[in-house]
Amino acid sequence: MTINTKFDISREDEQFFGKMGSFGIPKFDKIMNGGVPRGFTILALTDPGAGAELFAKQFLSPCEEPENTMYISTNETSEEIMQVYDKYNWLNELQIISIGSEYNNRVLGKELQASKYRLEGFNMNDIQRLSQTRFVDDETEDFLTEMANTVMDRGPFFRCAVENLDFFFQRYDKSRVISMLRMMQAHTQMARGILLLCVSTDSLDTSIEREMSSIADMVLTFGVHMIGSEFETRMIVRKFRNAPENLSVMTYRVTPEEGITPETVQRIA
Amino acid sequence: MESAAGYVRDRCVTGIHGLDEILRGGIPYGSTVLAAGSCGCGKTTLGLEFLVRGAENGEACAHFTATEPSVKLLDNVRQYDFFDMRMVDKGLINVFDMDVLYSWLGLTKATFDLGDIHALIKAITDIVNTIGVTRLVIDSVTTLCYKIQSEQLIRDFLFTLGKKLSTLGCTTLLISEITSEKSGVNMWSSFGVEEAISDGIIVLGDVERMGHLLRFLQVVKMRGTSHSRAKYAVELTSIGVMLTPMLKWGSSG
Amino acid sequence: MIELDQKIAEQLSDVGLNSSMQVRCGTSNSFTVTASILNPLINVFEMGGVYISASRGANEIIEGLESLGIPTGNIQFLDMVSSGILGGTNTEHTNISYIDSPIMLESALLRTMYHFRKKLTERNFVILDSVNALAIYNEERMLAEYLHTFVNTFRQREVLSVIINVPDQTPPGVLANLDLYCTDLIDRGQIVIN
Repeated sequence: MTINTKFDISREDEQFFGKMGSFGIPKFDKIMNGGVPRGFTILALTDPGAGAELFAKQFLSPCEEPENTMYISTNETSEEIMQVYDKYNWLNELQIISIGSEYNNRVLGKELQASKYRLEGFNMNDIQRLSQTRFVDDETEDFLTEMANTVMDRGPFFRCAVENLDFFFQRYDKSRVISMLRMMQAHTQMARGILLLCVSTDSLDTSIEREMSSIADMVLTFGVHMIGSEFETRMIVRKFRNAPENLSVMTYRVTPEEGITPETVQRIA
Repeated sequence: MESAAGYVRDRCVTGIHGLDEILRGGIPYGSTVLAAGSCGCGKTTLGLEFLVRGAENGEACAHFTATEPSVKLLDNVRQYDFFDMRMVDKGLINVFDMDVLYSWLGLTKATFDLGDIHALIKAITDIVNTIGVTRLVIDSVTTLCYKIQSEQLIRDFLFTLGKKLSTLGCTTLLISEITSEKSGVNMWSSFGVEEAISDGIIVLGDVERMGHLLRFLQVVKMRGTSHSRAKYAVELTSIGVMLTPMLKWGSSG
Repeated sequence: MIELDQKIAEQLSDVGLNSSMQVRCGTSNSFTVTASILNPLINVFEMGGVYISASRGANEIIEGLESLGIPTGNIQFLDMVSSGILGGTNTEHTNISYIDSPIMLESALLRTMYHFRKKLTERNFVILDSVNALAIYNEERMLAEYLHTFVNTFRQREVLSVIINVPDQTPPGVLANLDLYCTDLIDRGQIVIN
């Protein structure tokens, strides 16, 4: 029997996936009272090097449906991502899209070639090709729309991470990026998927950060702090829709066995 | 691609019916000539025939199209008997889309600055030099110049391009679009500078005779040669442009 | 039944290719005279050429000539009349091209030259039918200038030019020019009524 006719969600699927999904970090699931509700959009605001990259990969490690699990990266290659999954022995059958590589090939490659032509001129082969080329290669370079469409093409109970949004804020109008986020959030909710969006805190101004936080169902921040002569990595749950009891501050370590492992700070009265 | 071998003349014989007589033998070699006219007057056809007649003599020719895509241009020109697609296939006539050239050079902005202009000039002269082009048409220079920010830059562009092409021994036809009002008041440039820079000006237009429009051609200027300054009636036929002196009586304009 | 004038054929045999011939006819015998000229040109001298018609549609002329046994396959007709008539250009004949108006005199000249460049027989003629028809649309001075250019253009190219006119309907200035510049005359313009 189908419950949600738009996404063809059957009772069997609903029973299989349940109301909550794992963060990929069992200890974190426990702290969050079971995991992350299906349909949630998570915003991860991160200081550079604070570990959000690793968190995004670990978040996809449950990989309930490999064909419906997608990692969208703007600055790592597929090989680099796979190396991390292999290192921690996580399931690596997910889908990977490397926008960074595509950008390098399509846009930067073209810009480099143009600079070369301007500096060195055309040789006979170039001229032959030029005289036979009848159309401008207007293959779409709108990576923002491509990324949003990729997410919105996911089926029910999908799991997706975008690491990270800085790429889009640097190249596209900020209001367009926000519009796309709203659409992705709506789709995630309807499809009962889980979407993780990472963005660096130093690339945003306050109003944009606030707007993104209001769209997201859950907001995490990742920070690095100097304590004496040591670094401490800290994760803060700043927002959890309909579950304020989940707001917390925790430090975490990265171990070869488990990846990111949080440690809670408890006040003892 | 074949390059012209041993082509040495002091005149570029256009091969266009009537035009070489008007020019007393042809266009002086290496000149930059403005072919200015309002829409539908036969400028593109004139330019193409200029190249075809050169290709028939084994000259390497180049056509830069800015106004219409090369696919459409080649499709339209096939109807003419004087045009043979094999000349394009063999590389005797090389057709370049300006849009594609802009894209290859990274000229993606709405307007060109000095650096962009120099890149464009370098690209065109590279092509001319590498292939050994002796006949070149830019159709239209007006469309190209719309992208240039100022009149001074347009002047620099045309002057530098003309000088370099002349040094390379290339005779160039710059197609210029003017409105019919302008063609009546002795102004043959859209930007006011092309006519001053060019070595020659050939004007194409329409005269009205009792409600009918008749095409005409007139050589207004040609440095380095004497020429007829009369108006000639033009017929665009399948074998090319044909010219005959226009009757003096009974026409206005 | 039209009887062709054999004396015209005899006169034509003395005419060179660089001649320009003025043909005078009356209002009632113009087609007979035209056919009498075309018959030896086509059938005896095996010439081809261009027939510029400003007096009537080319269709009508072709049918008339064919009915007299004068083949028209080697004649290209420039029809200056039919474009002005609705549906006038619907025809099965492939050797007719149309000029929008009899005022486009230069077009007629250029199209004639175009046809000679495209399809040339060994010996060629051009017939202009007729000066009177052109005089309806064109001013006398312009017509005189045109005929002067016409005659000289084809004489230079060794194409026999035949210019038909009805003298008492031709403007005097034009007639004077024809008398001056044409090298030969066929005069069937005076009709004697007994």
